[in-house]
Amino acid sequence: MVCYIRVVNQYLALSIGLPGHGLHLAYDPLALLFLAILTPQIIATALGPDRKSVAYWLFVAGMVLAVLAAEAFPLLLGFELMSAASWLLVLRGDRKPATLYAGVAMFSGACILPALFLPPGGIAFTLILLGAGAKAGLAPLHAWLPRAHPAPSAGVSALMSGGMVKVALYILIRYGFIVMGGAAQPWWGTALIIAGAASVLIGSLRAMLEVELKTILACSTVEHVGLIAVGLGIALRAKALGDPSLAALALQGALLCAIAHGLFKPLLFLGAGAVKHATSTTSLDWLGGLIRGMPKLGGLMLAGCFGMAALPLGPGFAPEFLLLHAVINAANTGEIISRIGFTALLAILGLAAALALGAAVRIIGIGFLGRPRSLRAAAAEEADRPVLFGMGLLAVLCVPVALFPGMILLFLNPVINQLIPDAEQPPLGYAPAPLALLLLLAAGASYAILKRYGTKAEREVHAFNGGFGKPPAWLPFGDPITQATGTGFAEPVQRALGRAILGPKTIDPGELYVLDPLRRLNVQFTRAAERVRRATIRQRLAFVFMALVLFLAALGFVQGT
Amino acid sequence: MLHALLAIIATLIHIALIFGLAPLLIGIVTKARARLLGRTGPPFLQPYRDLAKLLRKTALIPDTATQFYKIWPFITLSATAVTALLVPSFSFGLITAPLSDFITLIGLFATARGATMLAGLETGFGFGGAGAARDALFSLFTEAALLVLVLTFVLIAHSPTVDGIGTQFRDGHIGLSVSLGFALAAMLCVALTETGRIPVDNPAGHLELGMVHEAMLLEYSGRYLAMFHYAAALRLIIWVSLISAIFLPFGLANSADILSWPGGLILWGLKLIIGAFALAAFEVATAKMRVFRVPEFLGVALLLGILSSVFLFVATKLGGS
Repeated sequence: MVCYIRVVNQYLALSIGLPGHGLHLAYDPLALLFLAILTPQIIATALGPDRKSVAYWLFVAGMVLAVLAAEAFPLLLGFELMSAASWLLVLRGDRKPATLYAGVAMFSGACILPALFLPPGGIAFTLILLGAGAKAGLAPLHAWLPRAHPAPSAGVSALMSGGMVKVALYILIRYGFIVMGGAAQPWWGTALIIAGAASVLIGSLRAMLEVELKTILACSTVEHVGLIAVGLGIALRAKALGDPSLAALALQGALLCAIAHGLFKPLLFLGAGAVKHATSTTSLDWLGGLIRGMPKLGGLMLAGCFGMAALPLGPGFAPEFLLLHAVINAANTGEIISRIGFTALLAILGLAAALALGAAVRIIGIGFLGRPRSLRAAAAEEADRPVLFGMGLLAVLCVPVALFPGMILLFLNPVINQLIPDAEQPPLGYAPAPLALLLLLAAGASYAILKRYGTKAEREVHAFNGGFGKPPAWLPFGDPITQATGTGFAEPVQRALGRAILGPKTIDPGELYVLDPLRRLNVQFTRAAERVRRATIRQRLAFVFMALVLFLAALGFVQGT
Repeated sequence: MLHALLAIIATLIHIALIFGLAPLLIGIVTKARARLLGRTGPPFLQPYRDLAKLLRKTALIPDTATQFYKIWPFITLSATAVTALLVPSFSFGLITAPLSDFITLIGLFATARGATMLAGLETGFGFGGAGAARDALFSLFTEAALLVLVLTFVLIAHSPTVDGIGTQFRDGHIGLSVSLGFALAAMLCVALTETGRIPVDNPAGHLELGMVHEAMLLEYSGRYLAMFHYAAALRLIIWVSLISAIFLPFGLANSADILSWPGGLILWGLKLIIGAFALAAFEVATAKMRVFRVPEFLGVALLLGILSSVFLFVATKLGGS
């Protein structure tokens, strides 16, 4: 086995194996960016108990190999390694979604494999979009994600949500912008935008309505993948239409979203794992008041939720800001239909932003604040130190993304130049550092005024609670059912919006229109196969005879013409 | 150099006025409402007295509150205060003008709202949770409608900041258009919701089941309640200033031109008073809606926002060809 380094297309490449016949690895700015996105989450999750499992390391190796691959074969090898290893890990957690997950992984592999060897064009891009989109959880092929991602242990969930979907998007970017970049058509971008918008809407709505903490986070991943896809779609469309500055703006938003999501989502998943460890449940309806027993974990979860809600001064706001401006710019020119479409997209993004805030408030407000809803929640103890350390690492890395997004965008310049050669990067109109300064000033001023003019007197009393009396001594936290539950908190949204989009039974459209028909088809095929298997010897002979006759007839027909 | 100095002075006057006058505006609205209903009403300065009294009262901390109980009022007040620094009042060209991107503004409103919702969930009693859930529902439509409105403004003014939009609308001979009419109607609906006024919410309500904003503050008292009340007052003056800076920008001063300041100040004061009386008259004339009628009301706002941009597209298409 020979290993040597050479320079290919200006970028360093590494070849393993016989000269000319080996695995070719290379790194260019795009690959480096995704490697940089993967590294912190790998470190943070490897601090947990998952590092003892071989499958975990195979999973990591698959992701890294897929990102560093210089050609189709190692890319596919890495992608399949990642899928297979993560399937093993999902299987270890829960058997039921593992089968579904394996099916989706095979589907995406089966779509990507031919696409890599087809000439650049519409068919190849559609296959890439289907394959990578299914793996990343883009609507309408997203229904598996909220089932499979919560199944394995917390670290693996974190890596699947934060890393694996990014690898799928990396393949989409690599093939959409670089390999097939010359043949790009505007409709590629439009397809990506529509799929992204549907994911954003369904993901954010389900994140607001679900009750299991990990499922909420997985649904929020669907939303963020949708946001990234919207950005990529606008960039692809603008590039094909010859508007490089809009393409650069949208791409900045998409890539920054990928970076930010790669930090706060693993953080939240690790936290959900710690909650499960401490209380043996992740259902919001059984949690409550966790911040008393686990203040450090609560603070870190608050930081993560701050990012997830895309609030200013959080890591999630700068990408949202860039994406919204990209959509506004895209609505500025073009055909009237596309402009109306972008207006609707803006409304969807606004709706999703508010839903994301609602979902984040729900995680903190129902899970960590308030009164405990079960004895286990009341007795929860602080999470283990390695988990806190991993989460702390991710939270610290969120700070530069949150406060100095302009600097991160400078690092993104080479990537954007690689994807859109003649782009000029627009300056960022959002300056969090002065805003943070103003916010600190305001908080300081209000603190000073309170100190100067207010009294410091405080008294702990029984809560007012609309005038109800103190609970009896045998209910130390009062009656748990007298506070809003996760389900109850989401009820107004479910009534006003959930019914309209998800139907009265809250079934994901991806499940209803994609998975259920497939399941029915599966049952029908199984029945047909069973009928063939149970056939009597006479029926089988007749079948063979019929096949022979048909074959001969066809042969004769072809010979005759 | 001189311009920068003038901008700083204008900003300082802006800070003094907007933070100083916020409770007065609430006082005017309450007084006007009472007079329209045939009552005498509290004096104009009553909100100041209420705040001063709350500051001096012992804060009662519920026994089920967590460590974060005291942090939420600070976040709500600071985020609202930063918004107040960004919205132009009597003059354009404040030193905070470059920061006043409309989307940042929406984000800051969302931050304040998120902290208030968490304050409602903090102690874990039913009314706070119900209020927070309703606020979450309303915010869906207000954010979507506001973003679509931003699109209309940016398309007309070619500037994403509130300052730039207002300056363009003042100087750019925009004229009356159907599109801006729809935008104004949508903006008013959003403003009524964001400031928690009738028909969406009743700031003077005493029935817990019908409250939204007040329900989240039920467990707060003393100086912490004063912070929330002051933030609510700030929110009202911000929204009146914002709407007048965008839709009625005539007479607003330039920070670089010191001679235009007095006119700007007087006109801003007049606009605030007109806004307060209009709000009072509207509140007296309408009844509060049921909670589940509000999404329909806000859905209309969203639709009007979308229509305003669609009309704009059609107009540019017709104008262009």
